[in-house]
Amino acid sequence: MIKTTLRSSTHPLAAYIEQLKTGGGLVPDRPENVLEVVGILKSYGVVLEAYYKNLLYIAEHQFLELFPFFKYFNGEVSPAKLLRHWWHDRINFEYAEYCMKAMFWHGGGGLDAYLDSPEFRTRAQSVIQAKVQGNWLISGLNQLFPEFLPEQVRQFTYYSALGQFWRVMSEIFLTLSDHYDQGKIESIPQVVAHIQAGLVAAATLPITYAVTVRGQVYDIIPESVGLTFLPDTAVPYVEAVFFRGTPFLGTVSYNAQANQISPDPSRFNYGALYADPLPIGGAGIPPTLLMQDMRHFLPEYLHQVYRQNLRGEDDLRVQICQSFQKSMFCVTTAAILGLAPYPLDTADPEQQQANQSYFEQWMDRFLSSRLEDVQA
Amino acid sequence: MTQFLLQTSWWVPCYGLIGAALTLPWAAGLIHRTGPRPAAYFNLLMSVLAFIHGSAIFRATWNQEPQQLLFHWLNTADLDLSLALDISSVSLGAMELITGLSLLAQLFALGYMEKDWALARFFALMGFFQGAMSGLAISDSLFLSYALLEMLTLSTYLLVGFWYAQPLVVTAARDAFLTKRVGDVLLLMGVVALASLSGSLNFPDLYAWAETTTLTPTAATLLGLSLIAGPTGKCAQVPLHLWLDEAMEGPNPASILRNSVVVACGAYVLIKLQPILALSPVALTTLIVLGTITAIGTSLVAIAQIDIKRTLSHSTSAYLGLVFIALGTQRTGFALLLLLTHAIAKALLFMSVGSVIATTNCQNVTELGGLWSRMPATSSAFVVGGAGLVGLVPLGGFWALQQGIDIFWIEQPWLVPVWLLVNGLTALNLTRVYRLVFLGQPQPKTRRAPEVPWSMAVPMVSLTIVTLLVPAMLQRLTLVPLDWGYFSRVQVLALVLSGLAGCSIGATIYLHKAWSRSVYLPSRVLQDWLAYDFYIDRLYRLTFVLAVNLISRCSAWFDRYVVDGLVNGVGLASIFSGESLKYSLTGQSQTYLLTIFVSVGFLGVLLTWSMW
Amino acid sequence: MLSALIWIPILGVALLGFWPSPIADNRTRRLALIVAGVALLWTIILASRFSAANVGPQFLENLPWIEPLGLSYKLSLDGLSLPLVAINSLLTWIAIYSSDESIHRPRLYYALILLINAGVAGAFLAQNLLLFFLFYELELIPLYLLIAIWGGPRRGYAATKFLIYTAVSGILILAAFLGLTGLSGSSSFNYNPLLTQALPLGQQFLLLGALLVGFGIKIPLVPFHTWLPDAHVEASTPVSVLLAGVLLKLGTYGLLRFGLGLFPEAWAIWAPWLASWAVVSVLYGAFTAIAQKDMKQMVAYSSIAHMGYVLLACAAATPLSILGTVFQMISHGLISALLFLLVGVVYKKTGSRDLNVLRGLLNTERGLPLIGSLMVLGVMASAGIPGMVGFISEFLVFRGSFPVFPTQTLLCMVGTGLTSVYFLLLVNNTFFGRLTVPSQGTQRLGDVNLPPVQWVERTPAIALTILIFVLGLQPGWMVRWTETTTTALVVNSTVAQVSTAANGFKADSAMRVPIKAAPATRPLPNGETLRSDLSVIVPRSGSND
Repeated sequence: MIKTTLRSSTHPLAAYIEQLKTGGGLVPDRPENVLEVVGILKSYGVVLEAYYKNLLYIAEHQFLELFPFFKYFNGEVSPAKLLRHWWHDRINFEYAEYCMKAMFWHGGGGLDAYLDSPEFRTRAQSVIQAKVQGNWLISGLNQLFPEFLPEQVRQFTYYSALGQFWRVMSEIFLTLSDHYDQGKIESIPQVVAHIQAGLVAAATLPITYAVTVRGQVYDIIPESVGLTFLPDTAVPYVEAVFFRGTPFLGTVSYNAQANQISPDPSRFNYGALYADPLPIGGAGIPPTLLMQDMRHFLPEYLHQVYRQNLRGEDDLRVQICQSFQKSMFCVTTAAILGLAPYPLDTADPEQQQANQSYFEQWMDRFLSSRLEDVQA
Repeated sequence: MTQFLLQTSWWVPCYGLIGAALTLPWAAGLIHRTGPRPAAYFNLLMSVLAFIHGSAIFRATWNQEPQQLLFHWLNTADLDLSLALDISSVSLGAMELITGLSLLAQLFALGYMEKDWALARFFALMGFFQGAMSGLAISDSLFLSYALLEMLTLSTYLLVGFWYAQPLVVTAARDAFLTKRVGDVLLLMGVVALASLSGSLNFPDLYAWAETTTLTPTAATLLGLSLIAGPTGKCAQVPLHLWLDEAMEGPNPASILRNSVVVACGAYVLIKLQPILALSPVALTTLIVLGTITAIGTSLVAIAQIDIKRTLSHSTSAYLGLVFIALGTQRTGFALLLLLTHAIAKALLFMSVGSVIATTNCQNVTELGGLWSRMPATSSAFVVGGAGLVGLVPLGGFWALQQGIDIFWIEQPWLVPVWLLVNGLTALNLTRVYRLVFLGQPQPKTRRAPEVPWSMAVPMVSLTIVTLLVPAMLQRLTLVPLDWGYFSRVQVLALVLSGLAGCSIGATIYLHKAWSRSVYLPSRVLQDWLAYDFYIDRLYRLTFVLAVNLISRCSAWFDRYVVDGLVNGVGLASIFSGESLKYSLTGQSQTYLLTIFVSVGFLGVLLTWSMW
Repeated sequence: MLSALIWIPILGVALLGFWPSPIADNRTRRLALIVAGVALLWTIILASRFSAANVGPQFLENLPWIEPLGLSYKLSLDGLSLPLVAINSLLTWIAIYSSDESIHRPRLYYALILLINAGVAGAFLAQNLLLFFLFYELELIPLYLLIAIWGGPRRGYAATKFLIYTAVSGILILAAFLGLTGLSGSSSFNYNPLLTQALPLGQQFLLLGALLVGFGIKIPLVPFHTWLPDAHVEASTPVSVLLAGVLLKLGTYGLLRFGLGLFPEAWAIWAPWLASWAVVSVLYGAFTAIAQKDMKQMVAYSSIAHMGYVLLACAAATPLSILGTVFQMISHGLISALLFLLVGVVYKKTGSRDLNVLRGLLNTERGLPLIGSLMVLGVMASAGIPGMVGFISEFLVFRGSFPVFPTQTLLCMVGTGLTSVYFLLLVNNTFFGRLTVPSQGTQRLGDVNLPPVQWVERTPAIALTILIFVLGLQPGWMVRWTETTTTALVVNSTVAQVSTAANGFKADSAMRVPIKAAPATRPLPNGETLRSDLSVIVPRSGSND
C-alpha cells in the first residue's frame, strides 16, 4: 500500500487533514448542517448581490467625488427611496466598504503590487488630471499633497475589484441554493464541490477597472496587467477577511500600552473564521451589519429552524452568525482544495507529502480559529 | 422678542435631552428590523436646533445686563431648591461653545461609528452629555451645577463603558466613575455644608453670604477644599487624574468632547465658586499647587506615551492645570480664555487623531508614519490644532498663554517658568507625535491610508477653519487687547522662544520606531516611570484600594464569624423549635392559616395575661 | 375608609384560604392580583382625598374593642403613613405580579402575601399602641412561612432566624408599650404624644431603649442585622421585594412614630449616640457589602447601609431631616425592590448570582440587555445620582442632619461613595465583558443559551424605574403629602421638650442618669431648636435659618 509509506500527520488538527484528504469538509456532513449552510449562503448571495452592485456603482460613478451623498443609491434618487434611506430601512452597504477597506489595508496579491507600480502611477495621474481640471481648490490640494488623490484612486480600484469578486461569489451561492432547492445538493462535500467548481471556473477571469471622466474612458487596470480572479482577488480576500480581519473596537483594546494588537498585520486573527459570534448585535462589532442584512433574506426553511431555538427571534443575528461561520468554513474548504498543489488522489508519495505539508500549513492557522466550535 | 428669546434659554439644554429620549426606541431594541441611524439624525437635528437657538440668544444678550431665570423646584421646611439660570453673554457663550463642539463631534461620529450597530445608544449618551453640559454652562445655582456634574459623571461612565464587552473597558469605566465619584462626594459635603451655612444654593445668594460671613479659617479651609475636590476629579488633576487616561478606551467622538469641554465643566464650576473659594487662602494655594504639579507632571507624562490618544489626553490635564493656577490666583476671565482656546484646539486634535485611528486601525504612534501627503485634511487639522494649543504662532493658545505671562510677570513671577515649561513641553510632545504619525516612511499599518470620507472630513475641516479664526473671535469679543503696543516684547519673546525650543527639540530628538526602552538603566527607569503615569495606579492599589479591600473583608469576616457566629451559638437552642415547625409544614394549607390564627390568638391571651 | 385597606386583603385571604372547592392555579393568581389591585386603587383614592394642609390625623376610625385592655380599633392616616401605605399597596401588587406563575401551593402562597399586606397596612394606620403591635406581629408568621416553604436550600435556617429575631423585636416593643402605659397610668393604649410627659427621664430611657432595640432589629441596625442577609438570600424574589421594600419600613416607621414621637426628650439626649450608631450601621453595611460575592447578599447589605441614613435623619430631628426619612424610606423601598426584582430575573435565567462567575450579561442578543440597563439605572439611583429619587432623599437627609450632627453626616456621606464602589463592582463584573454563565454540562464556549426574558418579567421593573425617575424629578409631589405632618412631628416634640424641659432636667439629675454622656458641644434641650452643633463651624450659631 502506498499510503503506509506516508507517515501520518502529527498535527493537533490531523483529524481534519484526514477528512480533507478523503473528500470530506471542515464541517461535519449532517443534513441539518447542509440545510444551515445552503440556507445562509442563499441569503448571503442575495446580500452580496446588493453589495457588489453598489461597489461597482461607486467605483464607476462616484469616482473621486468629494461629497458622495448618494453613493448608496446606485443612481436612483427618489423621495421615497430617500425617506427609506433616512429611516435606515436599507442594506448596510457600510459593511461592503468595511470589507473593501480591510482588503485594501492588508493588501497582498497582484493587485496590491500593481498599485505601487509606475504604470499605475501614470494611469492614475492622467485620470486625476482629467477629473480635477478646472477645480482649482482640489488641484491645488493635489499639488500640495501629491499622494492624496492617487491613494483615493487606489481605494477605488479595490471598490471595483471586490465588486468583481463578489459578483462571482454571489452567482455561485445563488446557484448553489437553486441546486439545493432542486434536490441536487444533499451533502456538505457536494456543497464544497459546487463552490470549488465555481471558483475554478472563474479562476482566470480577468480583473479590470476603467472609469469614464468627461466622456473619455480611462483604463486604470487594463487587461494587459494580467490580474485574474483567483490569485488577485479571491486569495487576498480570503486572507484579509476570513483570516486577518481588523480588531473589533467592541472586544479588543486599541490601547498601545496594553499590547493587545499585534504590530504585524499578518499575525492578525480577527477574521470571519476566528470571530466570536456571541457579541454580534452589540456595540463595536461590525459584522453585525452583515448579519442584520442577511436576516431579511433568510429562506423560510432556515428561519423556521432559528425560530425553534430557545430564544427564537431574539438572538437571530447570533444564530445567523454561527451558521455563517459554518458556511465560511465550507467556502474555505473549497478554496483549500482548489489551491492544493497536487490532486488529492495522487499516488505519488512526494506529491502526497507536499499535499500533507500544504494542509498542515492551513491547519496551523486554524489552531486558534473556531473550527472546533462549528463541529457541534 | 429679545426678552422672549432670553426667557427660552432653558430650552437649549433640553434639546439634547429630547434628542437622547428620542433614541430610546432604537437603543432599547424596540425597533430592530431597521437600523439605528434615524436616532442619530434626530440627535443631530436637535443639536442643530440647540446651536441655532443658542446663537440667537447669544446675539440677543450681547451688551445686555445679565439676567436670572428662576424655577422653583422643591420648597419645603427651610429648604428652597430652585433651578436658577444665569443668562449672560459669558454663560451663553460657554453654552454655545459646548453645543457647537457637540454638534461637530456628533457629525464626526456619524462617520467614525458608521459600522457600529449601537449607534442609537451612543447618540443618546452624546445628547445627554450635551444637555448636561449646556445646562451646567447657564446654571446659576450650586445645587443644579452639582446635580449636572453628577450626571456628567454618569454619562462619562456610560460613554467609556460604551463597548462594554471589551475587557479593558470594564475596569476603565469603573475607575472613571469611582475617581470622579470620590471628588463628587467630597463636593457634596461642601454643597451640604454651604447650604446649611448660607441657607441658599443660588450663586448670587452665596456671593452675598460670602461677603458678610464670619467663618472661622479652619471651617473656610475645609469648605474650600471640599469644593475643590469635585472639580479636581472632573478636570483630571493630580491626584484624581488617572481616569482620563483610562477613559481613552471609549469611542473617539466622545473623547473629542471629553478632552475639550467635559473637563472644562469642572473648572467652570470653580469659576462660579470663586468668591467662596476666596474665603480660604489655603484653598487657593491648593489650587495653585495642584495645578502646577499637574501641569508639569502630566506634560512630562504625555511625552512618554506611545498611545496616540493618550499623548493628547495627558496634555489636557496639563492645560487644565494651568487653568487651576489661574483660578488659584483668582484670574477668572483669563481662566475662561484658556478654557475656550484649549477646548477648540484640543477638539480639533482629537478629530485628527480619530481619523488616523479609523484609517489605520492603530493607536500606537511607533507603528504609524508617513501619512501627511495622503491625508491632507487630517494632517492639516493636527498642525492647526497643535498650533492653536501652544504659544508659538498667533493662534488661540498663543494669546491665552501670553496673557497668562503678562498677568504673572509682576505679581507672581515664579509662575512664569511653569507657563513657559508647559508650553515648551507641549510643543515638544506635539512635534514628536506629528513626526511619528505623519512624517517618515509608511509602515505596514500605514501603507494604505486613504483620507477619511466626508462625514468625518467636513467637521474636521470646519473646526480647522474655526481654530484659525479664533484670534479674530477673541478680538471681536474683546478678550484680547487690540493693539500690539500693549504687549511687552520680552514676554512675547519668552513665550515664542519656549515654544520654539520645544518644537526644535521635538523635531530633532531621536525617535525609536520600534518601541524599545532605553538600555541605559536610569533613563529607562525614568521613561517607564513617566510612561506608566508615575505608577500612580499602583500607589492607589497599594493604599486606597487595599485599605477598602481589607476593611471590607475584615467587616465581612467579622459579620460572618463574630456577629452571626455569636447569634448562631445562642441560636443552637432554637433549632428544636425550628425542627418542630418544620414537621408541621407537611399538612394542608388550611392548617397553616389555622396556625396563624392560633398564634395571634395566643398573643392575645398573652396580652391579657400580662394585664391581669 | 381606612379599614378597607386592611379588610380587602383579609377578604382575599379568606377567599383563597377557605373557598371550599379547588381553584385553578391561574385563577388564584388572578384573584390575588384583583384583590391587591383593588387595595392599590383604594389607596390611590384615599391619597386623592387626603388633605395635605391638614396637620391632624385624617379619615379617623375609632371603635372600642376590648375596653378593659385599653385596646381600641383606632385607625387614621397622616402624611407620614400615607406614602408608606401607598408603597405597601404598590409593592404587594408587584410582588404578586412577579411571582412565578407555576408556583406550588398557590392558594396558600397568595393568601400569605395578602395577609402580610393587611398586617403592614394595619400597622401603618394603627393609632393604638396595642393595635399596632397586633398588626406588627400579624405579618411575622406569614413571612416566616413564605421563607420556610418557598425559600432556597437553607430556608429552614433563615426562616427560623428571622422568626426568632422578629419575635424578640416584638417582645421588646410590647414590653415598651406595656411599660409606657403602665408607668404613665393611662387607661388606654391610644397613641398620644403627651403620654411621656410625666415620666421621669430614667424611665423614658428604659422604654426608649427597649423600643430602639426592638425596632432596630426590624430596620435592621448593626449589630441586630444578621437575620436580614440570610432571609433575603433564601427568600424568593417577590418575598425579598416585600421584605426590603415594605417590611423593613415598619422598623423605621416605628422609630419615628413611637421613638421620636413619644419620647422626644429622651430622644434628644440620646440623639448624638443614635447618629453615631447610624454611622456605624451605614459604614459597616457598606464595607461588608463590598466583600460580598452573592448579588442578593450585596443588595441586602446595601439595605442595611441605606436604612442607616433613616436613623441619622431621625436622630437629627429637624423638619427637613424628618421629611428626609420619609423620602429615604420610599426611595429605598422603590430602589431595593427594583434591585431585588432584577437580581431575581438574573438568577432565574442564569441559575447563579455569583459575582465571580457571571460576566457580560448586557450582551444584546443572548444576554439580558434590558434587565442590565435597568440594573445600571437602579444602582445609580441607589448611589444617589441626581434625576432619580435616591439623590433627593439622600440630599434631604444630609442637608437636614448636617446642622445638628456635622461629623456624623459627613461620615454617612462616605457611605454613598462606598455605595458606588460595591454596586459598580456588581454591574461591571456581571454585566460588562464577554457573556459567561455557569456552565450547564457540556456547554461550549460560543454556546451560551439563556432562556428569553418575558415582558411579564420586565414590566414590574420598568414601572418601578419610571416611578424612581418621576419622584426624582418631581419630589414636590411627595413633599406635598408629607411635609405638614413631618414638620408637626418635630414641632410637637420640640413643644413637648419645652414644656418638660425643666421638669425633665431635674428628674434627670435626681435619678443620677449620666447626663454628661451627652457630648459637651451639644447643649441639653433648652427650648431652643436642636441645631446648635453648628457653633463648631459658625461662631454665630442659630442665626443660620
